[in-house]
Amino acid sequence: MTPMDRRRFLKVTAITGTTAALAGCGNPENQIVRFIPEEELVPGIAVWKPSVCPLCAAGCGVIARVMDGEAEVFRKGKPGLTRMGLARKLEGDPAHPLSKGRLCVRGQAAVQVTYHPDRLVAPQRRSGDRGTGQFTEISWEEALSLLTERLDASVAAGPAQIAFLSRPRPGRRHELVAEVLRRLGAPAPVTFEIFDDAVLRRANELSFGRHQLPTLDLAHTRYLVSFGADLLGTWNSPLAHSVAYGAMRHAPGGVRPKFVQVEPRMSQTGASADQWLAVRPGTEGALALGLAHVIMKAGLRAAPAAGRAGALVDGWASGLPDFTPEAVERETGVPAARVDRLAREFATYGPAVAVIGGAPLAHTNGLAQALAVNALNALVGSIGVEGGTAFMPQSASPQAQARTLRETMAAAPPQVLLLDDANPVFAAPAAWKVTEWLRQVPFIASFGSFIDETSAHADLLLPDHSFLESWVDSAPESGATSFVATVAPPAMRPLYDTRSMPDVLLEVGRRLKQPLTPAMPWQTFEEMLQTAATPESAPTPAATGRPAATQPLTQPPTAWRAPVLDGSADEYPFHFLPFASQAFLDGSLAHLPWLQELPDPLTTAMWSSWVEINVRTAEQLGVADGDIVEVTSTAGSLRAPVVISPGIGPDAVAMPVGQGHETFTRYASGRGANPLAILAPIAEPSTGQLAWSATRVKLAKVAEADGSLILFAGATRERPDHTKGRG
Amino acid sequence: MNRTRNNPLADDLVRPLLHTSVWFYGGVLVLASIVACGAAAWAYQLWYGMGVAGVNWPVFWGFYETNFVFWIGISHAGTLISAILRLVNARWRRPVTRCAEVITAFALMIGAIFPIVHLGKPWLFFWVAPYPSSRELWPNFRSPLVWDFFAINTYLIGSLLFLILPMIPDFALIRDRTTGRRQRIYGALALGWQGTTTQWHRLEAAMQIMAVAIIPVAVSVHTIVSFDFSMAHVPMWHSTIFGPYFVAGAIFSGIAALIIAMAALRRMLKLHAYLHPLHFDNLAKLLLLMSLLWGYFVFSERLTVWYGNVPTEMAVFWSTQRGAFAPFYWTMVVCNFVIPVSILSFRRLRTIPGVVLVSCGVVVGMWLERFLIIVPGLSTKQLPYSWGHYAPRPAEVVIMVATFAAMALLYMLFSKFVPIISIWEMKVGNQPHPAVSADEDEERQGLWRARP
Amino acid sequence: MAHRWGMVVDLDSCTGCEACVTACHAENNIPTVGPTEAARGRAMHWLRVERYWEGDFPDVKVKFKPVMCQHCDNAPCEAVCPTYASHQTDEGLNAQVYNRCIGTRYCANACSYNVRFFNFFNPQWEKPLQLQLNPDVSVREVGVMEKCTFCVQRIKAGKTAAKAEDRELKDGDIQPACAQSCPTGSIIFGDLNDHESRAARFTHSPRGTKLLEDEGTAPKVTYLQRQSWNEPDTQ
Repeated sequence: MTPMDRRRFLKVTAITGTTAALAGCGNPENQIVRFIPEEELVPGIAVWKPSVCPLCAAGCGVIARVMDGEAEVFRKGKPGLTRMGLARKLEGDPAHPLSKGRLCVRGQAAVQVTYHPDRLVAPQRRSGDRGTGQFTEISWEEALSLLTERLDASVAAGPAQIAFLSRPRPGRRHELVAEVLRRLGAPAPVTFEIFDDAVLRRANELSFGRHQLPTLDLAHTRYLVSFGADLLGTWNSPLAHSVAYGAMRHAPGGVRPKFVQVEPRMSQTGASADQWLAVRPGTEGALALGLAHVIMKAGLRAAPAAGRAGALVDGWASGLPDFTPEAVERETGVPAARVDRLAREFATYGPAVAVIGGAPLAHTNGLAQALAVNALNALVGSIGVEGGTAFMPQSASPQAQARTLRETMAAAPPQVLLLDDANPVFAAPAAWKVTEWLRQVPFIASFGSFIDETSAHADLLLPDHSFLESWVDSAPESGATSFVATVAPPAMRPLYDTRSMPDVLLEVGRRLKQPLTPAMPWQTFEEMLQTAATPESAPTPAATGRPAATQPLTQPPTAWRAPVLDGSADEYPFHFLPFASQAFLDGSLAHLPWLQELPDPLTTAMWSSWVEINVRTAEQLGVADGDIVEVTSTAGSLRAPVVISPGIGPDAVAMPVGQGHETFTRYASGRGANPLAILAPIAEPSTGQLAWSATRVKLAKVAEADGSLILFAGATRERPDHTKGRG
Repeated sequence: MNRTRNNPLADDLVRPLLHTSVWFYGGVLVLASIVACGAAAWAYQLWYGMGVAGVNWPVFWGFYETNFVFWIGISHAGTLISAILRLVNARWRRPVTRCAEVITAFALMIGAIFPIVHLGKPWLFFWVAPYPSSRELWPNFRSPLVWDFFAINTYLIGSLLFLILPMIPDFALIRDRTTGRRQRIYGALALGWQGTTTQWHRLEAAMQIMAVAIIPVAVSVHTIVSFDFSMAHVPMWHSTIFGPYFVAGAIFSGIAALIIAMAALRRMLKLHAYLHPLHFDNLAKLLLLMSLLWGYFVFSERLTVWYGNVPTEMAVFWSTQRGAFAPFYWTMVVCNFVIPVSILSFRRLRTIPGVVLVSCGVVVGMWLERFLIIVPGLSTKQLPYSWGHYAPRPAEVVIMVATFAAMALLYMLFSKFVPIISIWEMKVGNQPHPAVSADEDEERQGLWRARP
Repeated sequence: MAHRWGMVVDLDSCTGCEACVTACHAENNIPTVGPTEAARGRAMHWLRVERYWEGDFPDVKVKFKPVMCQHCDNAPCEAVCPTYASHQTDEGLNAQVYNRCIGTRYCANACSYNVRFFNFFNPQWEKPLQLQLNPDVSVREVGVMEKCTFCVQRIKAGKTAAKAEDRELKDGDIQPACAQSCPTGSIIFGDLNDHESRAARFTHSPRGTKLLEDEGTAPKVTYLQRQSWNEPDTQ
């Protein structure tokens, strides 16, 4: 007889205890099964486990505070209770080069993903018509067989028409998916993220030979000009930027760095600027060229200093004669004197850096806009120097060039579509007709943890673990000047009957009739992650980072032109400026209750959608805060309440992206309106990227305030005009 | 009717106790059901939480606190009429004293319910009482709410004494006029009163002491209630004028309530012989005086605020004068000042209906005044980001209506069991019927008729 | 010497990102009230980032100001609470004792900063969101006031850890959730009695102001005013 140790004692007690309890219950349905604890944690004592936040592409390292607690779990398909380590709170990992111990608002909310009430707890198969959201639970065995069957059929019928749709997230997970697809003979993975800066990558490839987003050394910069990039809020690597910005503001020494933000609508980032310049949408590049013109004309720098980046801009060598301050004023609306002053400061108070991202690139002239800013940076010598811009070293293993969703939709529909946390039915314009395309796909499986607009069309749901329950990794493309590959084991055991997506793919790969050739080198994702990723060889300053996927092109110089907008100015008088909201980014975080209740930084709206309009626009329309307007483009219309904002001009209206979900858990479904739906399908020509800032709209008041706009704040001014009673 | 002696006064005033009309039962039924609705609303609130009311961040006080101050204010009627008029030997007070004292007693009791209703955890209301608790803490004596506890209880006890003491001779009278169960009950209540000289002396002495003592208590009660507001740094709360302002307002609303009660009693219990237009005329003059005083306080406060032009205070000021609260503010001014001064300044208009109408307006206006003290200030405090709004929700409205019904119900029940006019006082005052000639009476009646 | 906890908020580096707001919710078991109640003004953001506009388009500015309980030395909320639920500890914290609170809400009215919040209903967490709750912080019940505590549970834990390890507390050992999460490092917490601590030093910064200073509440949160850029002398 084995000696009685604590574990055995617990096991025996648990079983006998449960049996004794059960014997006392009359009704079998009231039995609560209690599982043996799988780990020993001292109650009340926290252990800190590392992980990686998956909510945006930045890939910041976090630590999870794990404490003992009792949870309702599923083990082998059976529900029951157990004591286990539960992640309670996330903090930035102090050792991580991107987060440096800090964490952004979305990262703080991320812990709610694991405990979300509407999380999928087990595999499901569709039981009603596609899109009705009717599913029944099945076992993993059945689920895996179904998937294997479909993949077998696709492989057998010739070149495997399998599409794997996810977000662009560089790292080992993506690598594994690409490897599996390659061995299946399927095309490269498809990535879709509406706010992905493909245009900037293309421009950087042309200007600097790096198909990559830039890393800004804000901590050491003395002069920062941001053209529309919400870098402290939602753009690129906002946490890393913010940490560096904090260092910039707290830098000892006499001279205060200057931060200039150039955009048509005051963003959260713009609020921190020392100088905020309002600019006509899509003309930011003209301003950048105007600055370059002044710098070159004043003899502060010479044209050849900008090298290849300068040569790519039409008219650079002759000093950009078309971009005098007066011409720039006419084009952009920025006063000529300011253009002149800004240019001189930018060239004098170095190290200086300019950045462009987000809305300015979501135009038909997006590439020219980015090339202009690249040239400006090169002119003042901010590439690869302290306080300037650089490229983060990337992994040595080649990453397959992903296909775009548009490309995939233009080709013959795949036979099998695998969805991993991408939601194009919501995040792509209605004009793209994604739903119609999905109907043509015979089999759709989703690995997501939630049913959203896209996975509602799936035939099979194979819910992944939440990030805290699985092996995670990230290899960010920006945010630091050294190579950072983060790998972390699960911070807690899975609550439910979910399985890690990479492991599911590997398992399915093993079950295929035609085995994957060559065989996958790893049995599990964990195994893959044991071998550390290696950085590319030591980079030279201008050529650090991942090499361009294609050969350097002999690109003729690009001329900056005004953007082409959809909709005539007479019929559609307003520029439509959708923006990534601080709470939800592109809407993928709208299911988290903390983020729904978070007051928007500028409007303080909670649980709401809104349209920001200028006070004169409001007078014209006869609307006050909360009144409902109909916003119409050539591609559709929506209704939302109005917020009168001093931060936007009379020729534009802005709307946060994130609400307007039809199907996305109880917290987001049926709430607000989705500005992405009414975007015109106008594209940036070089990348095919949606020009999501190029739509024009018209507005009309349709109803009085109906309570759908919920604001946390009362007044908007510190010294309200109280003679009117309220601010 | 048991007429043991030829005493028409006693007969008239005891009759309501002995004869009950169907209207009485009907009235009690209706009022009791409204009160029951209020109780149900409170039960609902106790079950679910204060969230069923309309209060929020930052307007944490609303209807309940308004009603609290309002009812405590109404309770000042008794003091003024009974105590002050007694001390100055005003004869015309005699038929009026008990009506007034009853208003005080019940208004206080109803008002005292609201501090309990407004609590987040009302089952712990007794923690404001100073008793040796297991928490090993006395209440925080620096808190105006604890002062409220002492003040209101002192006033309640004082007022009840002031009310009950003079009821003793009347209970004895009823004891001597009834038989059976009634006799036993009223006999017990009469505490063995035989009407001896010593007893009368003692009663008069007690009443004199109470009259003197109750006045500072009454003044301090509403001053202390005003401290609930003036002690906090809320814009337009933190004002030194609040003490006198609240007391004046309380007396003002109290008199108005008294006039309404008297008019109702006069009509329902047919007390035309005892409650004369003269009484209403005198009370109307007091009402006019209080209206002028009220207007003076309001003007003084508002001018000071406006002249000082402090931004935080001006935000509240303008929100009442021109902003969201303007309709309520101007209604209040009309009800409390414009109408009373216009009507009560002229003798020909100081008729009973006129005076009752003005009083109803004053009751409404004074309720609005309490509301306008509490809510606009809380809506617009020092940090504009945290400005908010308040709107009452059904539970608060139902409870409020129920308290008005409760007041009416308690009054009705009281007048069923105790003579609403103090019989012995009338006799002592040697006023079986005030001498009013037929012509004078006809003239006064004439004022009731509609005029072109 | 006894500790005296205080805080400094640098408005020059605060970007209004509200990481502090959600960090506070996560740490302190603050209920999410939902859209209906939020519309009624019952959202409970113990720490909020106030946003004020200045000017009109295009010459506009936005100012962000994180506001939490100021732990005033002369707290108006303490005098008016009938049950001592709001009282000052000997380390300078304004403590809210949930068990003593009977919900008069007078403290919330008296607080000029409007940093006090009330549980209008019993807090609900839709299962299994309650698994996220911090066991070191009590969950409040209906009828009780609550507010920022300077993460007193972390102060306690920090002091306990220092004692267990037989060492003194160092500046930076104790970080409330907001300070820890703030990406730009704009929230600085520390012992004002430790003159070497960052909090104590920055409290005396020439840029330092207090919120509603002339109310006389003596708040222990110092706000470092935002600076502007001036063209440096080129000589």
